[in-house]
Amino acid sequence: MSDGLMNRREFIKRSFLSGATAALVLSGLNGWEDAEAATLQVGSLIDLTRCDGCEYRKIPACVEACREANKRYFPNPRKEDLKPYWPQKNYEDWSTKQNITNRLTPYNWTFVQKVEVEHKGNKTVVYIPRRCMHCDNPPCAKLCPFSAQEKKPEGPVIIDPEICFGGAKCREVCPWHIPQRQAGVGPYLKFAPKFAGGGVMYKCTLCYDRILQGKLPACVEACPRQAISFGPKEEMRREAHRRAGAIGGYIYGEKENGGTSTFYVSAVPFEAIHRALVAAGQQPAMPVGVPNFLDTPNGIGQAVLLAPVAGLLAAGVAVYKGMKYKEMKGGE
Amino acid sequence: MSGGKVKRHSGIVRFIHCSVAISTFLLIFSGLGQLPLYKRYMVDQLPGLSWASNFYITLLIHYVAAAWLVFASIMHVVYHALRKEFDLLPRRGDLKESWVVIKAMFGRGKEPPADKYLPEQRLAYAYMAFSFFLVIITGFIKVLKNFPSIALPYPVWQWATNLHNVGTVLVILGILAHLAAFALKPNRPLILSMITGYVSEEYARHRHPLWYERISKKRDERKALGG
Repeated sequence: MSDGLMNRREFIKRSFLSGATAALVLSGLNGWEDAEAATLQVGSLIDLTRCDGCEYRKIPACVEACREANKRYFPNPRKEDLKPYWPQKNYEDWSTKQNITNRLTPYNWTFVQKVEVEHKGNKTVVYIPRRCMHCDNPPCAKLCPFSAQEKKPEGPVIIDPEICFGGAKCREVCPWHIPQRQAGVGPYLKFAPKFAGGGVMYKCTLCYDRILQGKLPACVEACPRQAISFGPKEEMRREAHRRAGAIGGYIYGEKENGGTSTFYVSAVPFEAIHRALVAAGQQPAMPVGVPNFLDTPNGIGQAVLLAPVAGLLAAGVAVYKGMKYKEMKGGE
Repeated sequence: MSGGKVKRHSGIVRFIHCSVAISTFLLIFSGLGQLPLYKRYMVDQLPGLSWASNFYITLLIHYVAAAWLVFASIMHVVYHALRKEFDLLPRRGDLKESWVVIKAMFGRGKEPPADKYLPEQRLAYAYMAFSFFLVIITGFIKVLKNFPSIALPYPVWQWATNLHNVGTVLVILGILAHLAAFALKPNRPLILSMITGYVSEEYARHRHPLWYERISKKRDERKALGG
């Protein structure tokens, strides 16, 4: 396994280097489109048949590793900056609850759900590591009113804490409500903290800093059962299909929200997992085939792009009719 | 020109103005909803506005209104270009002359004789045209980047987003100034003219003597030809 891991690491490092080099060369030749296409897209595979939620540990290994690897990015608000979002009376503060590991918070970017799922008359306990899915067309990033989130060419979706105003729109447009807000930090404090902004949103970055160095995301490296794999996205997709085929299982994350960089594989249908999560009142659930927030707007978007042509034609018709009318009136 | 009335705006012009006004209002309202503002400031608790904090609804309104605004704006530009009507474009000396007109509106001095549009109306038009151009171009980029098949580089999104926000502020300020102009009595006949298309002959003769002279001359010529 150790050799395998080293080979994989080396592969990822080389893939990134070659991708980056190709991107640089191509950007000089054919522009950004080629450069983006040349960048290697990464993804992950979460095999629910392997995850046991580290029941024997106080905190699941992936969660602990994530917290350790990302603690330098965690918010550090000053008490005097924690004020209600006027005219509301509340504010979101997790700084006093940093030890919470059984849900997503600004200090806990991944956690493991445990749910009993009934399928074909059998009851199975399923453990589900949850975090950002790093969607292909992420509504969180696309709809941020300040473009504080970026879909990196390699695939991870990253929030820039220097730009984020903490409006939490990203959390609402995400089908899984992943980003979490911490008040009392971020650029909103420099403007009108009482009236606008609410902090900074935090979520998994897929350990973007680590993968750029050729390392694995912390959760992947820490998992004692190799339930989480990481690598080129298409390889992860193929592996998910191979694994699902081998166990007669199911895939989640390939179609959801228009496609993501995270592929879950399970022996029980995700419809059953979703129902069980909803019944247990656990968030986030796993709605199968959940559509992308932008699907319908993009349909109307085509009308926006065609509107200039319609305007041009309408003007032409109006001018022509005006000329005809003038002729009829004898050149008036 | 008939019955003491002078036609100032054609049906097409009024349709375009009405389209721009309504679509811009919808765009501003839905755009502010996208910021997000309405949940925090409890606008969604006002009667009939519970939908205002729903990002999906406000985004759909924004897109539909954007299509309408782009349609009307392009129609406006092409229609007047084809008809070679450039009365609203700023002219040399408009800035200086605007100051004289504004002073005259406050009873200081006499208004210089104006063409179909006052110099400050031409300047205001240039300002609004620039602001709308900015929001439309950046809005187009924002629409494009939302398509799953289009991968625009992040700096392009970011610039488009920031300039879209700047353009929105410019448009709002422009609209406020546009509406504030009607606080001044001499400008008020223009409110009705944008609805009916007509101003009184007296208003045209007094406020826009150069334009009035031109259209009177045309009318006289037509009469002479027996038209």
